This record gives sequence, C-alpha cells and structure tokens, in this order.
Amino acid sequence: MSDLTEDQIRSALESILERRTADTRLTTMGAGSDDLEAGRRYLADTVAEGWHVPTWPAEYGGRKASSSQNALIGSILREFIVPDLYPFAIGLGMVGPALLAHGNSSQQEKWLKAIASGTSIWCQMFSEPEAGSDLANVALQAKLDGDEWVVEGQKTWTSRAMWADWAICLARTDPAQPKHKGLTMFAMPMAIPGVEIRPLMQMNRDAHFSEVFVEGARLSDEWRIGDVGEGWRVAMTVLAHERAGGGSRGGGDGSTRGAHIPTWISDLQALPTPHNAIWDDAVMGLYSHDAVSRWTMQRASDEARSSGSPGPAGSGAKLRTVKSYKGRAYLANQSSGAYGMLQDGHGYIELMTAPSMSIRGGTDEIQRNILGERVLGLPGEPRLDRDVPWKESRRGLI
Amino acid sequence: MSETFGVDPLITETADRLFSQICDHESIQNAEANGEAAEIWNAFAETGFPWISIGEEFGGSGGTLLEALEVLRLVGYHAAPIPAAETGVLGGWLLASSGQQLPEGVVTVLPNGSEDLLVTRNGDHLTLTGRGLRVPWARAAEIIVVPIQVEEQTFAATVDPGDCQITPMTNMAGEPRDTVDFNQVKAFAAPLPSDVNLQTFRFRGALSRTALMAGAIEKMSQLTVSYTNDRVQFGRPVAKFQAVQQHLVWGAQDAALARMAAETAGREANRGDGAFEIASAKLIANQAAARATKACHQAHGAMGMTQEYPLHHLSRRLWSWRKEYGGDAEWGEWLGRIAISQGADGLYPLITGGSAALT
Repeated sequence: MSDLTEDQIRSALESILERRTADTRLTTMGAGSDDLEAGRRYLADTVAEGWHVPTWPAEYGGRKASSSQNALIGSILREFIVPDLYPFAIGLGMVGPALLAHGNSSQQEKWLKAIASGTSIWCQMFSEPEAGSDLANVALQAKLDGDEWVVEGQKTWTSRAMWADWAICLARTDPAQPKHKGLTMFAMPMAIPGVEIRPLMQMNRDAHFSEVFVEGARLSDEWRIGDVGEGWRVAMTVLAHERAGGGSRGGGDGSTRGAHIPTWISDLQALPTPHNAIWDDAVMGLYSHDAVSRWTMQRASDEARSSGSPGPAGSGAKLRTVKSYKGRAYLANQSSGAYGMLQDGHGYIELMTAPSMSIRGGTDEIQRNILGERVLGLPGEPRLDRDVPWKESRRGLI
Repeated sequence: MSETFGVDPLITETADRLFSQICDHESIQNAEANGEAAEIWNAFAETGFPWISIGEEFGGSGGTLLEALEVLRLVGYHAAPIPAAETGVLGGWLLASSGQQLPEGVVTVLPNGSEDLLVTRNGDHLTLTGRGLRVPWARAAEIIVVPIQVEEQTFAATVDPGDCQITPMTNMAGEPRDTVDFNQVKAFAAPLPSDVNLQTFRFRGALSRTALMAGAIEKMSQLTVSYTNDRVQFGRPVAKFQAVQQHLVWGAQDAALARMAAETAGREANRGDGAFEIASAKLIANQAAARATKACHQAHGAMGMTQEYPLHHLSRRLWSWRKEYGGDAEWGEWLGRIAISQGADGLYPLITGGSAALT
C-alpha cells in the first residue's frame, strides 16, 4: 500500500470515528469498567482498512504499513475517541506480534484476523503462585499423549480470563532441563473441559484478575506456538511487547492534540483545593513528565516495530508511564482534601489501582534489572539455577 | 511488641492479646461488608478500654492520655474497625471536660465541629441546622458530640442521632464516615473550660490519628518483612535482593519515625500543651504513611493488591487517616507559620525545645 498523507488518514478516520474533545473521559486499564461492546464496535469499524494494527498484513486485519506510517496513524488516532481496549489488549498488543514472529501460517490465519476485528479475546496464562517475577519457574505441566498435550497445573494473576476465548499459555514440557529450557508455548481455548476460572478480588474491588486451574485439559499439537522447548523465547517476545505498551493504544489519559488542557488537569482544577504555587509546580512537573513519557513510549514502540523485536527501551518507557499514572493518582487524591478519603471521592479507583501499576506487567525492579544489564552493561544478578535441572532448583537453592 | 514510654506494659499486652483474638482478617472483611462490627466493639467495650483517660466520675475507666493513645496505637496495628478514638479521647474527652456523663455505648464527634452548622440559642438549648460530613460511625452512635464556639465560649453540645438524618458513607478502608443532616435539631450544650476549644479539639483529633497511624505502619512493615522472607523467587527469598531490602528499610524507618513522633506528641500533650509536637507528628505520620504504603505494596507484589491478603486493611486506613484532622498542607502551613514567627534565632530552640519554646 502506498503511503497516505496526514489529511488522507484524518479524513478516512473521520468517516468512521468520533472526534475527541477536551471533555472526553476515558477509563484506564479496565478498572471500573466491564464494557466489552464499545471496544468491539471500534475494532469492527476499523479492521477493514487496518487502522488499529497498521503494521500487520492486510489479510490479518492490518494494512502492511511502514513504521513511519504506523506512527503517523497512531498519532492521528489520538484525536479520535478510541474506547478503552483493555479487554482486547493482550491479543492486539502481545499475542498478535508474537504470532507474527513465532506462529506458523495456519495459526496466523486462524487467530490474527479474529484478534484484529475484536471477535476473539485473549488472555495471558504466564504467572503462577511460585512464578511471578521469576517467570521461568513455571510449574504447569504439559505432557505429550499421542498427538495431544495433557495439561495440569495452576496459573494466577490471569487478567481478562473470564472474557477470554483463548489463552497464550506457558507450560513446562521437560522438568529435567534447566528452568529456561524445558518450556513450551501453547494456545489454549478457555472453554474446554479441565479449565476452571476463579476471579480474584482486588483491593480496588476490581475482579478482572483470576486464578486458572487446569486439570487434564487436552490441547491439540496444532495449538503449540514455536518449537517444543522454545517457550521461553516466545514468552520473551510477548513480554517485550507488553513493556513496549503494544496493546495500550486507545483509552489513556485523554490527552489531545493541540492546545487542549488534558482532562486530568481540568478535573484537578475543578476541585475546591487552594491552587497555589506549590500545586502549580506539581501539576506542571507531572504534565511535562507525562509528555516525555508519551514520547518515550512512542519511540520504544516505533523502535520495536522497525526492528521487529522490542528492546530494553520498553522497560524505560514502562517505568516512566507508571510514574505518570501514579503521580496523577496521588496528586488528585492530595488535591481533593478530606473529601478524598471517601470511596466516592475524586480519583478513588485510580488511587486504589496505583500501587499495582509498578507491579503488573513486570515490576519496577525487573524493568530496572533489564535496563541495568542490557543498557548500562552492569553485572547481572547471580543466577544460581542456570544449569541446574528445574526439578531440583524449583523450590529454591538457598 | 516493644514497651511504650509511660504506659503499664500490662495495658499493651492485654489490648494486643484482645485484638489478636477478636480482630482477624475475616472479621475485618465482614465489618467492611456489613458497615459495623458489633462483636469486636462489644468485646472491646467489655474491657473498659474505650474509656481510658476519662475520669471514673464521668463514667470513664480512669488512667492517662498516654495509656489511651497506646490502646489507639494497637487499634491501628490490628486495623480494628471500631470507633475507639471517637468514643474515648475525642467525644468522651469533650463530654467529661464539660462535666457531662458518658453514655454506655458509642460516642462520635463532628470532625469540623460547628464550622458546618448554623447555631441559634433558645434559652438553655441550642438549635443546629446544617450538614456534618465524614462523621465516623454516626450510624452506630448513641450520642453525637458537637464542639461549638459561640463568641469566646466553646460548648460541648450533645445531639441524639435519632433527631438527625444519617446517610451512610464510607472511607477508603470501608469504615463508616457518614453524612449527618441537622434540621433544627435541639442540642443540650455544656460550657467547656478555656483550654478546650475548636483549635485544641483539632489538635486532639490529629493526635488520635497519629497514634492509629503509628500502629498501622508498624504492622505493615512487619507483614512486609515476613512476607518477603517467605516468598521465594530466583532460588532465594525475595528479601535477599537488595532492591527489595531497600523497600523493607523504608517501611521500617517510617514505622520507627511515626511511632517516635506519636509518642513524643502524646507525652507532651499528656504534660500540657504539645501543639508543636502534635502538628509535627501528624505531618510526619502523613508523610511516613505515603512512603511506607508505596514501599510495602511494592515489596509484596501482586499479592498485596488482593482482598484476601491483609495488607490493604492497613494501607487503605492509612490513606484515609492521613486526610483526617489535617492533611500535609494544613499542618505544613501551621508549622511554617510558627517557625517563621520565631525568627531565625528562634528556629533551633523551637526544634530542640518544641512547644516549651513557644511562649
């Protein structure tokens, strides 16, 4: 496809989407919202011309756009109302790119278009009770039985599981290998026998996280993504895209093009707190931090798209974005005075969600480790379990 | 549990044991769901703890303010969902100071006193109209106490909650902070001595929150140390990682800082004025709560964000308490004004001497 001009993109989007105004309010990260339909409508409206995942091949819901076209489309999309795509984010931002990198053509055909059009929702079955930051410690097992894999084990912190049609699931296929080597990645339908989902209630009253118990679920070998024993490599692709903010286009803080004041600031201005120089300084500090975060995130995702694999820039971007979110939540709460102690106070959900931002999707500590080791070249953490069979190292070596 | 200055260790031990028995994760969750915790309150009231520091002649249990604050510290430590401060060192104090008898049940106070109300005098009664906001446990109270200033005189007015319209509201921790509407409500008012007025009431409120917060931060820090020692990742307990240890240090420092500040403020208040120490302690506790909740949540990872793990009982209470009886801005400004008024030469004497240096 030949490159479009800014005006061509804008007028094409204008015919299918509504413009954002200074008053547009959007939810963040699914908290407080259970609306699947708005996102589904938006994806159905944009998939024909590939506006939401422009770099994907046209037959899978993209438009084979260059990275510069993609960046341009992304920035113009910010002028329009893009609903909170939280429910679809794993598929769009993480599974899709991983399938393009590691899936075979029949898998790409089977799953990508459904992801891009919003007809199928994916979740990510990675974390387990004993495998959080130490993801490679996963214990959920898949054993080959004839031409099918039989799966046993438990996942946790599986967000969106209750909505999902499919999961991308990291499983241990060889416990005798060291922990990174005996893993294999699968796609798993959530509605097959042996899969049970239990919601976990969060302190912000959100129940989008779940535990998933798997007991004897049978997976076709056609659902294996990448080679047996290559699961860690596929997982790294998925996680790198998560850090680079792959799925996060849409929703967000309501920042708009041009001279509009972002809604989070106009909301703060409306609070009955004295607005003095100290307050102004805090707001401006956050505003600038926010702008730089957005550019960092954009640079990270552009780099990821042009090189085909996201690098450590995504970790830096994630750290900054999280700091922005938390800063806004804390400032809103501080600005609301005593009223902010009530559950119906301004920014209550955001405040209750704030601590989780620097935990979910790789903690701040993990992101800083990545930056330290891969960007600054600092000595790595000692890895005691590197060459030890997983079945010996799993319970800890110290 | 370490000893607290000026407090009989028996009080610390008994209150700690009581709360350990009656106030577990499940009962706190239930209190939040039901908007009350009658069983916890009854067991607490049975011991006479709510009325420590109130003279027996007014229906109190006797004892010192330091002992009452020690009990509040343990209420915070155990995240006990009960109106301990309102019934004792706030409402009970106003009643006893104005020569009134305490009722048997829960007492609450209007945190902003008569500031939110229109007060008119009718003979020996007052008539109140207006709206009191964020009133702790108004729905469960036998008496609502309203500190009222009329010209130079402050009164402790008592109102029957049945005469008011009470709309249940909750703070972030799910504790009752009700809206109370007064529509021409008749109140009995008894005059307070000159050293009990709206300003000293504000300081007293801050002092009560400081004690609660010191307890909650301490428990939060202990939970975090124990969780990170149990949790194994990368082949070792996560507490072995320096990045995690940094969080543990923040939590422990803030626990020590908040407790030190709360005890100093309590000691000075017990001795007499203590305004400077109370203002400092509330600001210190507020800031410590903000830092420590961040550090402790981060060290817990995803587990700390769940309802089933008890960290949120403490962090959500801390986020609420730091806003009650003065947030950072209010006390920061108060302290700033005092410091400026002492002049450059007075700053060091103020820091070392505290309230005693203020004349």
